[in-house]
Amino acid sequence: MIAFTVNGERRELDEASPSMPLLWVLRDQLKLTGTKFGCGMGLCGACTVHLDGVAVRSCQLPLAAVAGHSITTIEGLSPNESHPLQLAWVAEDVPQCGYCQSGQIMSAAALLNTGAAVTDDSIRNAMSGNICRCGTYGRINKAIKRAANAPKEA
Amino acid sequence: MSLRDDTLLEPSRRVFLKQAATVASGLAIALYLPSGSAASDPKAPAPATEFEPNAWVRIFPDGTVKLVVHKHDSGTGTQTALAACVAEELDVNPMTVQVITPEDPFFDTYIHPVWKVFSTGGSTSVSLEYERLRMAGATARALLIAAAAQQWKVSPDSCSTEEGRVVHLPSKRSLGYGELVGVAAHLPAPASVTLKDPTQFKYIGKLRHKRDAAAKVCGRFKYSIDVQLPGMLVAVIQRAPVVGAKVVSVNSAAALQVPGVRQVLAVPGRPDVLGGNLEGVAVLAKTFWAAQQGRKVLEIKWSDSPLAGFDSAELAKAQAAAISDPNSQTIKAMTHGDVGAQWPHAAQLIEADYRMPYKVQNPLEPICITAHVQDKAITYWGGVQVPSSALEAAQTVCGIAKEKVTINELVSGGSFGAREAKYWLFEVAYLAQQTGVPVKLLNSREDEMHALFNHPATLHRVRGALDAQGKLNALQLHAVSPASPEQWEPGYFERPDHMDYSTTEAITAWDFAYRPPHLELNWVKHESHVPSGWYRSVSFIPNVFAVESFMDELAHAAGADPLAFRLANMQERPRHVAVLKQAAERGGWGQSLPPGTALGIATNQGYSSFIAVVARVAMVDGKPKVEKLTCVVDCGLAVSPGGVEEQIYGGLMWGLGHALFDRLDIQQGRVVQSNFHDYRVTRMSDMPATDIVVLDGEPGKPGGVGELGSPSVAPAIANALFALTGVRQRSTPLSLG
Repeated sequence: MIAFTVNGERRELDEASPSMPLLWVLRDQLKLTGTKFGCGMGLCGACTVHLDGVAVRSCQLPLAAVAGHSITTIEGLSPNESHPLQLAWVAEDVPQCGYCQSGQIMSAAALLNTGAAVTDDSIRNAMSGNICRCGTYGRINKAIKRAANAPKEA
Repeated sequence: MSLRDDTLLEPSRRVFLKQAATVASGLAIALYLPSGSAASDPKAPAPATEFEPNAWVRIFPDGTVKLVVHKHDSGTGTQTALAACVAEELDVNPMTVQVITPEDPFFDTYIHPVWKVFSTGGSTSVSLEYERLRMAGATARALLIAAAAQQWKVSPDSCSTEEGRVVHLPSKRSLGYGELVGVAAHLPAPASVTLKDPTQFKYIGKLRHKRDAAAKVCGRFKYSIDVQLPGMLVAVIQRAPVVGAKVVSVNSAAALQVPGVRQVLAVPGRPDVLGGNLEGVAVLAKTFWAAQQGRKVLEIKWSDSPLAGFDSAELAKAQAAAISDPNSQTIKAMTHGDVGAQWPHAAQLIEADYRMPYKVQNPLEPICITAHVQDKAITYWGGVQVPSSALEAAQTVCGIAKEKVTINELVSGGSFGAREAKYWLFEVAYLAQQTGVPVKLLNSREDEMHALFNHPATLHRVRGALDAQGKLNALQLHAVSPASPEQWEPGYFERPDHMDYSTTEAITAWDFAYRPPHLELNWVKHESHVPSGWYRSVSFIPNVFAVESFMDELAHAAGADPLAFRLANMQERPRHVAVLKQAAERGGWGQSLPPGTALGIATNQGYSSFIAVVARVAMVDGKPKVEKLTCVVDCGLAVSPGGVEEQIYGGLMWGLGHALFDRLDIQQGRVVQSNFHDYRVTRMSDMPATDIVVLDGEPGKPGGVGELGSPSVAPAIANALFALTGVRQRSTPLSLG
């Protein structure tokens, strides 16, 4: 049995193979399909989730490695789909096909979590592991700045 | 202008009547109403016969309005833009109205008006559908107004509409569209309808957002890969590593021991079908992960193949030989004057070869499709960009008739041409037929890299004669490449001119910008027998790279400014001239630049749109770097300006990829690269600054933009690098030292 927390909820998996990547556990066993498969080698970022608040590539993370840890997926980023990044993504109309955007947003959220200054450089550093084939990098940059400047909740 | 195609009229009516019955209690508005409805009321005027049937509007008694979008959306915003064309005239909000995919994807009216197949592509969705979709909305609106006017006993002219309601202002009455369904459904079609004056548009030309952004930012949006059905198996296919290789033997014992693996099946290749799949071995399992584990331990022996000696590095030699081979099929795409007679008199004779390698589309969502065959019927779930190919697969592989083919169409995670291939539809149809359970076929990234239905490698030889004054007297091009997948379409081989319009993009009379006194543009058909496929911007990419690089070479040889040299060779091309001049001005052309900085310019036209790109490169730490791409676009009417801007940005990104990264090698018949570590694509850190200007074009007509943005980027960068370093680079990816 492997136990870990997903989006604040404790999950115990009895039959999962410890070597199965977290990506497929999320998608096929926990039916959290917002996290996407793009390359299977940790090169494209479509599968990005948070492990204890830090962005990781779930296609490269065996289930055994997340035992006892806390995972956040795009579905758990905000209780009502209103994370400042999600609002900013809509305001800037970022998604084209949208397939990479769960991973893009999770990488951006990890950047904001660090509290580091949001600049073109820090955005580029945080986001260059996430491939978008449609061409949304320009709008992603704008959306992250918009979210970073959004008024904080009281 | 009549958009009607008489050959489609009769079948359309029959199919539509059948279909109309399926939207029970709804008002499915067709311009050609069933003759019965008019006959039931002898006083009703005869149905009008001067408009296309309309298969895009569904209105229900509860007020629900559904607009059908019959084009595939792979992220290009097609659903929003097309819905807006109908919604604008119908007077409903395209952002909030329901949009559905066709109940019957093979309803004749949905056929591509030029290609005569059911397909999405070629940057044609908005440009070719704009008028008839507006007509569809306007006609529906006219019928609803007529229904209300009849009920109120007022003149239709005294009625107007306000977002889903018919309004009679003099009496301050109004009725929702839903309340008018019963009456409107039995009215004869209006003899004519008036389209809105463009100055009255509320949505067209003003859209800044797409419909589905909210669902796409929280993981709710469902893609092909998310399809889950009871009893479903997930298939992966180990395809022939070399084209033409056949399975000699398979040892599946170890694969079948992998937990979750259910079956191993050989998939016969279809070399008899143009674009058909290669031979392969499928592993079917409960999950993709299990299937992949099973595939790793498959033992397959492949036969030899004639292509086992193919090496892409050697291809250019064979392509060059084809130019002078009298047995080659050489087709004149455009010609005037006599170039051959000019060479002896040239003050300067310049010749250059340009090469571009194989390139892979790599949509981020790999190819994925689910199919289920039962009771001699097939149902597909997923992003099907070419319903005609899904139909062909059903008919060819399973012997299933057209009326037994159902497509549950989904938006796909990018296509760029990959989803116009048909091999995967043939494969999934076969697996669904063999297993009798729903089968989800999913490519790995390695499968995408190895799929081969991608952009072919090309060689272009260009020759130019300058006179003593440096004027371009003659220009000759030989573009050596295989035929495009256009050959998969019916009628291709019967064309009297033997032209392959998708291979000769940018080098035919309508989209080649330059008019020297003597001109000859040839396509040399050279087949390597490596399959090629559709790829965003298709042959514009190598054709524009060669022509725009060579124009730059000629300008330098003539001692002329590359912008002025281009303009001097354009006649009666005001829109082309305008984008060139404006891009040059905006990009800093002719102004003083910081030391170690240089500009390059290039331009292309296509899909009734125009673009010019200025690339700025600079020496940074001893190496050239692309700092900025400036472009000016004239696409006529931009239905969705936000969508146009993002399509152009995406195009610039793709063009940068062509310039610096895209390259697939084939050695001994096998693809060398396998994933994003050895096949680079453009990342955020690679993107230079961009400045995109979309001109207020002619208000009348929208041009295409999906494939407009990329072709000029690589030559603009190559030209800038020459200006910076003095070294001319003629093959991509370009070296940055």
